[in-house]
Amino acid sequence: MAIETTPGTLRVAIVDDEAPARSLLREYLSALPDVEIVAECANGFEAVHAVEATAPALLLLDIQMPGLSGFEVLELLGREVAVVFVTAYDEFALRAFEVHAVDYLLKPFSPDRLKEALVRARQRIGQPREAGLDKVTAAARPPGTWPARLVAREGGRVHVIPVDALDLVEARDDYVCLRSGGREVTKQQTLTELATQLDPARFVRVHRSFIVNVAKIARIERYGKDSRLAVLQDGTKVPISHTGFASLRPLL
Amino acid sequence: MHPILAFRGRLGPYLAGWVPLAGLLAGLLAVGGMTWLQATVVAVPLAVVYAFMCLAAWYPCQSAPLRKATFAKVVVTQLAAAGLSAMLWLFLADTWVVFLEQFPAFAGVGERFPRLVVVLLAVGVVLYVLGAALHYLLIGFEEAQQAERNALQLEVAAREAELRALRAQIDPHFLFNTLNAISSLIATEPTSARTMCLELAEFLRESLRLGGVATIPLAEELRLAERYLGIERVRFGPRLRVERDVDGGAETCAVPALVLQPLVENAVRHGIAQLVQGGVVRIAGRCSGGRLYLTVENPACAAPAPSGSGLGLANVRQRLAALYGQDASLDARVAGGTFRVELTMPASPPPAT
Repeated sequence: MAIETTPGTLRVAIVDDEAPARSLLREYLSALPDVEIVAECANGFEAVHAVEATAPALLLLDIQMPGLSGFEVLELLGREVAVVFVTAYDEFALRAFEVHAVDYLLKPFSPDRLKEALVRARQRIGQPREAGLDKVTAAARPPGTWPARLVAREGGRVHVIPVDALDLVEARDDYVCLRSGGREVTKQQTLTELATQLDPARFVRVHRSFIVNVAKIARIERYGKDSRLAVLQDGTKVPISHTGFASLRPLL
Repeated sequence: MHPILAFRGRLGPYLAGWVPLAGLLAGLLAVGGMTWLQATVVAVPLAVVYAFMCLAAWYPCQSAPLRKATFAKVVVTQLAAAGLSAMLWLFLADTWVVFLEQFPAFAGVGERFPRLVVVLLAVGVVLYVLGAALHYLLIGFEEAQQAERNALQLEVAAREAELRALRAQIDPHFLFNTLNAISSLIATEPTSARTMCLELAEFLRESLRLGGVATIPLAEELRLAERYLGIERVRFGPRLRVERDVDGGAETCAVPALVLQPLVENAVRHGIAQLVQGGVVRIAGRCSGGRLYLTVENPACAAPAPSGSGLGLANVRQRLAALYGQDASLDARVAGGTFRVELTMPASPPPAT
């Protein structure tokens, strides 16, 4: 079966914090027929908004940017977008593969190399969506490295929460609520997925609907005959299930 | 660390050295009127006890080290210690003799003893002083070995720093991003592209050359940093602003080659590049009171410092230490939203080349 490529114009958004890098991509893309540049962004925040506003099919995304990294931008996208990473150094190649990027361009690259990436992008966009690839998560992290911060989007705003300041995560339907220092931020992700981003030595799923930062637990109380609660430093009470307690005990 | 007790294999020979002394002591007692049997039984345990008591000579040796204490202090301390030890020993000897008198073979030993007190005291003092001398000798030996070890370690650190400096000279991120920027300028601003190409080549050439040089005038180091910043300005545009405040006197001072460069690179990579709005990199230098003060400042960013910056600073610290020892220092801190690195070192004119 021939792989269908999307007919018509490919809508592309360029994201790079360096002006010469953006103008280079602009120059290469302008020479190509049926490619339309719908947005040019100088940082991750602009990118997240632009994707929402202009709905590009493909993102040409730098990785090392101020504020939000390319990977964090990917996490925050509300839509399904094909991504080609564009960066100066190959150290991120493995991770790019794990987040299912279409391609990985090393600066400086030739116009032909970019064309190759665009062909791959068209193929990917034409393919039916595989089940389970709805949300891009930072999967299979190299051992010993956990993200130092979580990013979430609420409406138009991007929230960045350092993991050290995270008190608690509560599941609500098909999204989660991140609680940190009295503030609450919701994120469209399942609790199970979020759990893969948190170090299990510091964050325990104490209940079907709760993940708790062990460092923020002030004490454990019993109530009733068989049940336990974790009381956090800010007073919040979190129920602990039996299996939850079994996971929590060794870390206390 | 006790020079005898802390080392396996030293206690044995030390105690063995006391065997002839025990014999001498027995001889003294025999001459003083005891039979050889009596003398031996009295002398040997006393000798063993005093052998261990003399090990405590280490403490007075430590409190009056030969190199640092005055001669008077050394003499007074050791004589006092000797006197005290000898008297204590004499007391033990007396107790021992009294105990022995119970046995028929030793009847009458106690009578002869008082005559020997002065002699024993003198012997005790002399033996103690000898013990102290031995300890001083061993301490001195240990210090010499330590000094040699230190010298070797410094040498190794200098070599490692040299190697790392060489390796760190070409930062891949900088190189490939710059090449990309040049590529971008070719179509729109070919003249600028050519200039940037040449600037990059010059920068790399200088970096490689300076890797093999020990010290250069600060002016030369600043020229390199400015060339680097000029290249980076093309990438970052108005996000990178540079301020320079170096007085003329400082410019002629000698600095280790490539001591400023890693700091400036950090300032751009971990400071400016991490901020959406960019900021100012400030380089300052002044000469005052025979010392040179260099600072590099950039806006501090909230994100935790990535691993790279730590290595650069450690490298510069090591190189300063290798060249100037305790005379130079590097201080890095965040204050009022600015990340500031300050280097101080002796101000010296560069060698005539």
